[in-house]
Amino acid sequence: MNKPLSHLDLLEAESIHIFREAVAQFRKPVLMYSIGKDSTALLHLARKAFFPQSIPFPLLHVDTGWKFRDMISFRDRAVARIGAQLIVHTNVEGAARGVNPVDYAPSLYTDVMKTQALKQALDAYGFDAAFGGARRDEEASRAKERIVSFRAAGHRWDPRKQRPEMGRLLNGRLGTGETARVFPMSNWTERDVWRYLLREKLDVVPLYMAAERPTILRNGQLLVLDDDRLPLKSGEVVTKRRVRFRTLGCWPLTAAVESSAADIESVVAETLAARTSEREGRLIDHDQSGAMERKKQEGYF
Amino acid sequence: MIAVAKIKSGGIAGSASAVAANVNDKRMPLPRELDGVVHILTCGSVDDGKSTLIGRLLWDASDLPDDTRATLQRSAGVDGQPDLSLLVDGLAAEREQGITIDIAWRYFDTARRRYVIIDSPGHEQYTRNMASGASHADVAVMLVDARDGVKRQTRRHAAILDLLGVRRVILAVNKMDLVNWSQDRFEAIEADFRGVTAQFRFETAVAVPVAAKLGDNVARRSKQMAWYSGPTLLDELDRAPGRGQSHSGPFRLPVQTVLRGGQDFRGLAGTITSGEVRVGDEIIDAASGRSARLRRIATFDGDLSHAVSGQAVVLQLDTALDIARGAVLASSSARPVLARQLDTRLVWLADSPLDTDRGLLLRTATDLAPVSAIFVRGRLNLETMSQSAGTICATNDIVLADIELGRATAIDRFADQRETGSFVLVDALTGATLAGGVVVAAEAHTAAIADDRFHLSNELLALGLCGDVAVGSPEFRRRAEEVAIILRAAGVEAEVECAR
Repeated sequence: MNKPLSHLDLLEAESIHIFREAVAQFRKPVLMYSIGKDSTALLHLARKAFFPQSIPFPLLHVDTGWKFRDMISFRDRAVARIGAQLIVHTNVEGAARGVNPVDYAPSLYTDVMKTQALKQALDAYGFDAAFGGARRDEEASRAKERIVSFRAAGHRWDPRKQRPEMGRLLNGRLGTGETARVFPMSNWTERDVWRYLLREKLDVVPLYMAAERPTILRNGQLLVLDDDRLPLKSGEVVTKRRVRFRTLGCWPLTAAVESSAADIESVVAETLAARTSEREGRLIDHDQSGAMERKKQEGYF
Repeated sequence: MIAVAKIKSGGIAGSASAVAANVNDKRMPLPRELDGVVHILTCGSVDDGKSTLIGRLLWDASDLPDDTRATLQRSAGVDGQPDLSLLVDGLAAEREQGITIDIAWRYFDTARRRYVIIDSPGHEQYTRNMASGASHADVAVMLVDARDGVKRQTRRHAAILDLLGVRRVILAVNKMDLVNWSQDRFEAIEADFRGVTAQFRFETAVAVPVAAKLGDNVARRSKQMAWYSGPTLLDELDRAPGRGQSHSGPFRLPVQTVLRGGQDFRGLAGTITSGEVRVGDEIIDAASGRSARLRRIATFDGDLSHAVSGQAVVLQLDTALDIARGAVLASSSARPVLARQLDTRLVWLADSPLDTDRGLLLRTATDLAPVSAIFVRGRLNLETMSQSAGTICATNDIVLADIELGRATAIDRFADQRETGSFVLVDALTGATLAGGVVVAAEAHTAAIADDRFHLSNELLALGLCGDVAVGSPEFRRRAEEVAIILRAAGVEAEVECAR
């Protein structure tokens, strides 16, 4: 271990430091586990932070009922393998009202089945801090996010009331009614996550790797049909294509890209060589970044 | 990363139009791991062209994606120059005001290493934001307009950088095209800059003439300024040593938590903030003065024989010292002071001024100690570096303050140790971060606790609030400290038996 530390070594150490600080300062933390590659890296970092102990907090998955089936089976395998405690929460009320991503606007669906569901779960269990895999490089409104981000009662985020952070010092002392979101991977980039998954030989959901999948083309986006709940529009044809995903979420709202990268090595090679942004082609879209900021103020993670 | 919107769940994420690049396209394969990380603070005002300068660095020196480049190129005006400031986006509220009020983090890779740009606002009313940004920085780029030269603001910025321990500074003299690339003009500004920096402790202070809009001397050498033989801005940034590359200084590890495993494993977990350590080394607990030898350096990936600053590890000692969170492990030859009296400089971060009647806590690297008294000796004028008497401290003020702690804590002088010599002041009741501070001097603690303090004994606590938890357990200690904090906030000096 006499070679200089690489940027990944430093990022890993910083994440471990943040996990340990949060567990020392908060009374009842939880890790937001969303099954994707970022969550996989986050979970791995949590294991490293508390070795030789096991992870001293449960994982929380907010299940909308519209995740890819491969995601759910991956989740159950991953959690069983490390012996972590998993809490799965669904907004039962929203589901009973029939809120779904097919018939409802994505913003309303997301608000009910993700934002509201998350708030319900945090309140029901009395968690005072939630770890998330969000990164500052993801989106303009996140570039200014703190590592420990405070939410007022009702989980509201006020960008003007965030605490200044000095060096490595993290102040996790809560005021009345406050809870915190903690982002151990704040300073990672998309590429770092892939580099790390490869370096640490971590398994990811097979959907990240290219395979022949049943797809349709809708609004210029490739959708993979995971079951028969999405009615086809006239003219839409189900076609087998070799595709993979860069991000995973509710399947009717997640687009695939055509790719031949069938294993994680090739995916990482493709990602590192990619000369297009990981985000969709939409550029400098002020309306959209404003939308994310509004959602955060309303309590979105 | 850069002004590129992503809808994570409110819409369709990913896109068929952004088809993954062909792996066979062998342009610039990026290395999997980069040599270290350099944090750059950029300070200056919008008028000086700061967003354009950052945009230019990204445009000329980084791995900016092709589609981002293409879109920006399409936005080019009649002069054919894309508006690079569009790469630097902000929150909606700030865009409306046309200013940057908060620090923003951006990342870019050159072929060799990772750069983190911490973009901070320059106006006086945002001194606190800049101070927060500076606390993370390895090198700072100060920006001035060549037509204006060094301003009062430049002096203030230099003072903040010095206060927060930034040792490498660069003055980017921008808009050289608007002064006809004048060597005389640049040299006059450079001389003023030397006058400003001479009074501080910077290791390097370099002025570079640039034209961010056109790219001159940012990442490529200017053809217009053949008279200039110094480094480009990127050259100078590349000279800054990256984190993770050197491990000088005496060993420090502030203990974050104790991790247990198996029969007799009691590991002290933390991040090494300075120096390095080897199995077999003698290590001292600064608070008790007791020493032990290092038996194991444990990590998830196996034991190490040697660990360096920046690494997060678990240390097992050969003797069980009674150590918990808040302790600082150090090399026996150069150890922190166990102090209750601190001579400090504070940057006041809160919106509300200091209220000495409120309960205050001092958070060091991993300790949280009650403040029993704070005395503001004076305010620092950053433009003249003179002190004015006064006991008030309000938002953005930099003040000299004496702090007395309710109990001793292990701490360093900031001049010796950047991490274990700094702290934040916390409001005990709201939890708000009120001020960032550095230790100018710390007096070793010898005096016994005065008799007029209320003594919260374990017996007393066990009868009351802490009756349902084990004496000495973390929850017991936590509640005991809370009781003491409330008592102190009410004006009753209190000390806790179970506190270290």
